[in-house]
Amino acid sequence: MIHLMIFLPLLGSLLLLATPRRWREEVAGFISALTLGLGLLIWRGGGAELFSVNWVPALGVTYSVALDGVSLTLALVTALMSFVAVLYTARRIENPGTMLSLVLAMETGLLGIFAARDLVLFYVFFEDALLPALLMLAIYGKPNRMRALVKFAAYTLFGSLLMLLSIIGVKYYGGSPTFALADLVQHPVKGAAQTWLYLGFLAAMAVKLPLWPLHAWLPDFHEQNHDSGVPDVMGTLYKVGGYGLFQFGLPLFPDASTELRPILMGLAAFTALYAAWIAFRQTDWKRLIAYAGLSHMGFVALGVFSLNETATIGAMYLLAFQNVYTGALFLAVGMLQERVGSINTRVGGVMTQAGALGGMTMALWFASIAVPGLAGFVGEFSVLLGAYQVQPWLAFIAGLSTIAAAAYALTAFQTTFWQGRPLGGVRVADLRHTEWLVLGLPLVVALFFGVYSAPALNLIQPAVRGVLATLGGS
Amino acid sequence: MLTVPEVHLAPLLPVLIVLAGAVASTVLGFHLPRRALTFINLAMLVLSGISMGYLWNSGEAAFGGALQADNAAILLGLTILLGSAMTLLVSLDTAFRARVSFPEFDAMLMYAVTGTLLIAFSGDLITMLIGLEIMSLSGYVLATMQDSRQAEESGLKYFLLGAAGSAVLIYGIAFVYGATGSLNYAGIAAKTAGLTPGNLGVLVGGALLLLAGFAFKVALAPFHQWTPDVYSGAPTSVSLFLSTVVKVAAFAGMLRVFGGALQNAPGWAPVLQILIAVTLIVGNAASLFQTNFKRMLAYSAVAHTGFLAMTLLGTPGMGGAAMAYYLLVYTLMTAAAFAIVAALQRSEKGMEISDLRGLYYRHPAYAVALAACLASLAGLPPFAGFFGKYLAFQAALQGGYVWLAVLAALASVAALVYYLRPAMLMFMPDRTPAREYAHGERPATTFTVALGVIGVTVLGILPNLWYGWVANPGIWGALAGR
Repeated sequence: MIHLMIFLPLLGSLLLLATPRRWREEVAGFISALTLGLGLLIWRGGGAELFSVNWVPALGVTYSVALDGVSLTLALVTALMSFVAVLYTARRIENPGTMLSLVLAMETGLLGIFAARDLVLFYVFFEDALLPALLMLAIYGKPNRMRALVKFAAYTLFGSLLMLLSIIGVKYYGGSPTFALADLVQHPVKGAAQTWLYLGFLAAMAVKLPLWPLHAWLPDFHEQNHDSGVPDVMGTLYKVGGYGLFQFGLPLFPDASTELRPILMGLAAFTALYAAWIAFRQTDWKRLIAYAGLSHMGFVALGVFSLNETATIGAMYLLAFQNVYTGALFLAVGMLQERVGSINTRVGGVMTQAGALGGMTMALWFASIAVPGLAGFVGEFSVLLGAYQVQPWLAFIAGLSTIAAAAYALTAFQTTFWQGRPLGGVRVADLRHTEWLVLGLPLVVALFFGVYSAPALNLIQPAVRGVLATLGGS
Repeated sequence: MLTVPEVHLAPLLPVLIVLAGAVASTVLGFHLPRRALTFINLAMLVLSGISMGYLWNSGEAAFGGALQADNAAILLGLTILLGSAMTLLVSLDTAFRARVSFPEFDAMLMYAVTGTLLIAFSGDLITMLIGLEIMSLSGYVLATMQDSRQAEESGLKYFLLGAAGSAVLIYGIAFVYGATGSLNYAGIAAKTAGLTPGNLGVLVGGALLLLAGFAFKVALAPFHQWTPDVYSGAPTSVSLFLSTVVKVAAFAGMLRVFGGALQNAPGWAPVLQILIAVTLIVGNAASLFQTNFKRMLAYSAVAHTGFLAMTLLGTPGMGGAAMAYYLLVYTLMTAAAFAIVAALQRSEKGMEISDLRGLYYRHPAYAVALAACLASLAGLPPFAGFFGKYLAFQAALQGGYVWLAVLAALASVAALVYYLRPAMLMFMPDRTPAREYAHGERPATTFTVALGVIGVTVLGILPNLWYGWVANPGIWGALAGR
């Protein structure tokens, strides 16, 4: 079942090419819903056990996949948001075949990232998710996309190539027979070599997180993407750095993680605050959300790097649900753009005519700025709580960004949705048809898991304990 | 009474079949149209491949070990045959437009293939040199054959620099012979162990001269200068041939000499790592600034030389397997990319990168295929280029060249930028009229492209199909014929 879940979207993506034009939306929607359903079935069944076969025996590369704990949570979120993205694509984009195809292809890459339990397989999926993202930007992007594209690709690949070297190094210096995570953990690398390999691994994850100073691709990527926000949703899902660090970084490089902890936590806290500060001055909704996401990712990094149980659980929780509400916010921006033709934050007065859109957006923003009762709060609070036990001052600095978050989010919301309606402004329609579902579904999820976090915590907590136990506990 | 020497012909079979094709093209060219000859030659290539399959695991040798059909030779030989077949297929469609559609083109090509096979099958330095010269001389003619200023210039440049490279190589062979008293790979490898200091100096000198000579042939910087001019000046089908088959053969020679005969000789590896570093930097940096797509592919061939040469730094078991895998993948993806250029270009100058804008909306299949080739060249999974690059990194790391592997990773980032730019341009919407040759898609070229793209995709998802064959370290441990 797990293999079906991983590769079904890719099959669907290829199937779309052979599907008559008028059925493409239905087929894509069906495939993505089916993938989500499979994910829920796996969840009901208590996760998918590790499955491992040799892929390239001569090189020690295996095809090892499993979906449990953190990875299952993230896979479910990915499947959900891909479904939402497909729904919105079908409605918003003219002749959406190519876009739907790319969304589904990317979903396979993302699910593969979370399922992979072999480092080379992880790398393969990691890069595979990149290609559709690049194509979305190339086909549907705005005029300056070439610069954004080159920047995005160069940063990402710069990191991942160093990671590839680290991957080879981990196996070679540790003497493991295969690249399977279980084998690599049995044959750890010792001493200074571990630190260097960790730095190589970190390079890729820091780009993906993203962590200052490797974040510069992010705002351009979102700004130049298609107005609908669909590519942005997929881009949000692609921020798998925190997950990679947690699933592979900590078990493989325990000593180096402890050694570099203060520096990395410092970087993470700085990223959170710095991004919130920059977000405050953005006048473009997409850039604003991009920087807000960057700030959240600072929190995720802070949680993972702190090696503290509470903080790491919070980081994974935040990582999962940040995808939900940030993704939905990008789609809300897409709807705003469709209605007023601009994604400037100074539009003004939209609320008077599109109350539901405004209300939904605001609720999603509340989730994003960690208002209690919504999913963002659980994550951010846990991260701060845990990080405080390790580095109180850094937790304080990061904590400041929650105040900044309220400032940038509410200011931008106020200037867009309230204030005076400009004279001669077009009549703005409210939410229609599936748009209710597109924004409503993520909001319900954010609300549900903000109030009742147990289902997600039950998945995340044991996994985090398991990983941190290998570090000798801290 | 004259006695005919006993010659064991079986290991010669693959070479002889190809040679028969060349001779047939020369003679029958007066009676048959060129297309018929091309089909005959394609059949010859297939026959040669079958004969190689027959020789698999036989380990036969002829001329007292001067020519040996061991498994290493067969694996490299198959790659050479594949590249040659792809060249012939593309030339079916484009030779007429490129004004090289006469029997001599086929004859020269087949002579060149004969030379390349001789290199792969060589058991001593003289056989290798003969093969190299046959290949090079035919190559000079092929590059010049088109009646144009550019082709003349490129051919002359190729000839002058190639001749200089050959001279250096021959000088190196003389040194190695002087030091070890043997021309046979196995003999040299046996002698390298217990040499007097004086002889050792001569051996190192010879090894370095050989390295320089080979560096000319495979285009390692700083001996690469002829490459972009020749590759971009020659007719595109010839560029395809030069950048794949000829390079495979030259690397096969390098593998024989440095992985086998001189494996334990001191001195060459440290120099080679410097050459590789320079190649990676120069090749990738220069590609970054090309505006002509064909020229960019030429520089990218230089950059790939750097990756390929990294495999020489590993142990023969690991490095040889890595090189054999990489060479096949490199042949597939480069040949397919050049085939697309050959099909779509308006003139033999190739295409400007900016001309590729919107190709997806005009020739969707070709655009997707070219994107796959470029992604593979850039080393992105799931295409086979990824495993090639991976193996090269692994070989360098196992040889202890960590800094070189890191440098290669950094250089790859530049590579990604220049590969991705055209790849992405193709998918951007475009309103200007098409800039391609109007009748560009022909069955043979399309078949070649499909072969390359399917090849890199399948080998990328299931690398074991080819790597499983080449990974046996026994094949590469016996490079020197022991």
